[in-house]
Amino acid sequence: MRKRTLKRGLTAFWWLTLAFLYLPLAVVVLFSFNASNSAANFTDVSLRWYYRLLGNEEILSAFANSMVLAIVSSVVALVVGCLIGYGMYRHRHRKLGWLIVLIYLPIVLPDIVFGISEMAFFVQVHRLTGFLQPGLSTMIIAHVTFQIPFVALIVYSRFVGLDPTLFEAAKDLYATPIKRVVHFMLPTIKPALISAFFLSFTLSVDDFVISFFTAGPESATLPIYIWGAIKKGVSPEINAIATLMIGAVAVAAIVSLMFSRRRQA
Amino acid sequence: MSDTITAAVTDKTAPTPAARAAHDASTREASAIAMQGLHKRFGRDTVALAGVDLAIRAGEFFTLLGPSGCGKTTLLRILAGLEEADDGRLLIGGRDVTDVPPHRRSVNTVFQSYALFPHLSVRENLDFGLKMRGVAPAERKARVARIAEFIQLGDLVERRVDQLSGGQRQRIALARALVCEPDVLLLDEPLSALDAGLRSQLQVELLRVQKRLGMTFVFVTHDQDEAMVMSDRIAVLNGGLIQQVGPPREVYEHPVNAFVARFMGHDNLYPVTGRCGDRLTTPLGELTAEAAGSGALLLIRPETLDLLPGDGAGTNHLPARVVERLYRGSHAEYRLAVGESTLQATVNNRGRHLPEVGDRVTVTVAPEDLVTLSE
Amino acid sequence: MSYSGVIPTARSRAMVREARHLLFTVAPGATWIVIFLVLPSAYLMAVAFMTNGPYGLPEMPLSLESFRRLAGFGFLGWSPGNLYTLLRSLWQTLVSTGLVVLVAYPIAYYISTCRAKWRPIMLLLVVVPSWTNQVIRTFGWMNLLAPGTPLSSLAESLGLIAPNMGLYPSNFAVTLGLVYNFLPFMVLPLYAAFEKLDTAQVEAAQDLYASPLRAFWHAVFPQTLPGLLAGIVLVAIPAFGMYVIPELLGGGKGMMLGNLVANQFSGGANWPLGAAGAILMLIATFVGLFAMRRIGKRLGGGEEVVI
Repeated sequence: MRKRTLKRGLTAFWWLTLAFLYLPLAVVVLFSFNASNSAANFTDVSLRWYYRLLGNEEILSAFANSMVLAIVSSVVALVVGCLIGYGMYRHRHRKLGWLIVLIYLPIVLPDIVFGISEMAFFVQVHRLTGFLQPGLSTMIIAHVTFQIPFVALIVYSRFVGLDPTLFEAAKDLYATPIKRVVHFMLPTIKPALISAFFLSFTLSVDDFVISFFTAGPESATLPIYIWGAIKKGVSPEINAIATLMIGAVAVAAIVSLMFSRRRQA
Repeated sequence: MSDTITAAVTDKTAPTPAARAAHDASTREASAIAMQGLHKRFGRDTVALAGVDLAIRAGEFFTLLGPSGCGKTTLLRILAGLEEADDGRLLIGGRDVTDVPPHRRSVNTVFQSYALFPHLSVRENLDFGLKMRGVAPAERKARVARIAEFIQLGDLVERRVDQLSGGQRQRIALARALVCEPDVLLLDEPLSALDAGLRSQLQVELLRVQKRLGMTFVFVTHDQDEAMVMSDRIAVLNGGLIQQVGPPREVYEHPVNAFVARFMGHDNLYPVTGRCGDRLTTPLGELTAEAAGSGALLLIRPETLDLLPGDGAGTNHLPARVVERLYRGSHAEYRLAVGESTLQATVNNRGRHLPEVGDRVTVTVAPEDLVTLSE
Repeated sequence: MSYSGVIPTARSRAMVREARHLLFTVAPGATWIVIFLVLPSAYLMAVAFMTNGPYGLPEMPLSLESFRRLAGFGFLGWSPGNLYTLLRSLWQTLVSTGLVVLVAYPIAYYISTCRAKWRPIMLLLVVVPSWTNQVIRTFGWMNLLAPGTPLSSLAESLGLIAPNMGLYPSNFAVTLGLVYNFLPFMVLPLYAAFEKLDTAQVEAAQDLYASPLRAFWHAVFPQTLPGLLAGIVLVAIPAFGMYVIPELLGGGKGMMLGNLVANQFSGGANWPLGAAGAILMLIATFVGLFAMRRIGKRLGGGEEVVI
């Protein structure tokens, strides 16, 4: 009897929490279709804010910046992180405490400290040498820095899960060092590489603080543009871009759900 | 059936040195593997091999036998090239391969964990070594098909590795190594992960494969029964040193020292305290032995003993009392008290009377069945 | 030929090869992190001990001026503004972490009691909102809490806020935003703990202790403690350094340490002061991590708090 009440209470609490989690997103989506530009009253359904987006060059260039930043940084982080993940695995019997600390550093450092250290560093390097002018390149460097640990840890844990004699079997079956990489290691860790790439990509698109501090005047990404628009005064256009970004996440969520379903089957 | 794979081994078009060597009569006579003064240490203090000299003949089923930590696996890994010896030389097929990396040795291994590639199908696993060697695709296909038929994999070839049972994996690991037609096949306790029934079935299968192919097999095990069933010759290792090399019968019936005797399952070992011609003084009493050697330990194999009811007298007749009897159906195992000592005896069940616990019996042994060995 | 004399050659050859391999694989990433994170952080720490120059850039000589400023001592004597910001950061971290625990604990338990096939979907539902950009999520709350919205009107009619003020900007909005933002970070480790829960212990406890509350306290709670600690680390540390949420939802009176630091590098332009604030944040981070590790170890189970 008592158990049933508890279960019912928990079920109600669960739905309340879900409402809490999705309400802010739902409001953004709803008002993106609002005909008037009021943030409080929904008057009529219209797509006018979406048409406005298409004509806004600033938004389109911010979108392009976001994509370039996410793709380039993920690719670089994938290569560097994959190497470090393999190195950690291969030399796991050594004392590599310093390496572990180094790899966890970008993860534990508060975003804001991360961002301003990079900014201060880039500004000074640029003043002294002329290199590393704040812009897309400095943002890529900063993003790669926080993506490397995630890639390295994913690749490392995939290697740890393998039977170590597989490496010996590949040697034994006449694979030269290069062929071992091409025909054994890369195909074996392919799932880890794919998920590491997508995680890096998501982290990059999701990031605001670090991008904000390492960006230059020409390299605003979508979150930076939205931030600026909010600061200038709320415009209903933001609802429209935000809705598109929420839609992308929803698609990603459904895809990941289907993937996990298929793996179980 | 047997011809198909032999044809593969002696195939004239096969580009591998392995295939050429295999049908070369002169190399067949020579030793397939020669180890000279192999040493290996791990870290500072762990000695895995303390100087191993060993010659393995071509076409031989050779077993490295010993307890865990005796160095047998290290020796096998040095043969495969997966471990480098600190000192010494290793020749395979007359060629010095001491410094040759594993991917350039015509040697293949069947690993204890099978080590099948999880990202590949069974067929791709079988094909892996041939592909890495750069064998032409058409020939690869033919050889994979032949080996699949030979090992009787049937329709398993398109499966994924994680859909296979332990026994199936074991056979695919064997096929994957055989298809490369190496000079030497190394097997690292390949049957230890299987249950007893499957294990003895695969023992027979493995032996048949080896005899048909005439390939040199080096087999590692810690199980002396398995070693005796399979091997042409056995090397018993302990503490990184070879204790004895010989055919199973020789190692079992004439162990050279107490370690080998105990490892082969012998418990009836007694110090020889006095000696007068063929007469040996032991804790059991005076015993007459013929050509037993001059060792300080006397070995009495339990199956050479006979139990006679009651008291009896004569050469090598010892009065004893039954302490324990384990009835095994085909035979019975006895523990007997002879004076202060105990003696194990195995008696075949031929329908005659089997003495009971507490019975007084007379134990007899023929003088030619006694051997002595060193400590 | 002496055996021991020969070992070094073969072995040292292998050692050189291994060292080269280590260098080849680990060096690019390690060098990257050292150059682009360790060096910048070290520089930032050095900046905290420099003097503020004319354009907000650091200059020699070394001084502790920025720490004095952080404590509120300025040209016009002592003012409590910065200290308020610090205390507010601590208070917001404490309150929001506490609230997150209160919400996440029953949610994680509830998910673990549901049928196995629903659990991954339920977890996904909790996590998905955090995949959208933080700025967008916070913007959603701005929409919800603005003056004239149903929530604000409700609060107004209950007399909780002054007319036409809206629920944001306010400290309440910041707390709400923090709870919203960090809820998934607490649910995941707690759920992992509940899933591993040893039910035999719970049943034994129900036999031993008559009251369900005592059974919970003695059998369930200790088993979920590692997950709870991991969650607290995951929530409290980033909450203390939060920038976006107080900036958008807090307004001038909702500022936290993150905003104080950030402002010195953009608007306020006093790098040494900002760097001093960053050091404070770093200290809080590492003290937090260290404390959790210590407590986690003492609780035993060998369960290390992994981030």
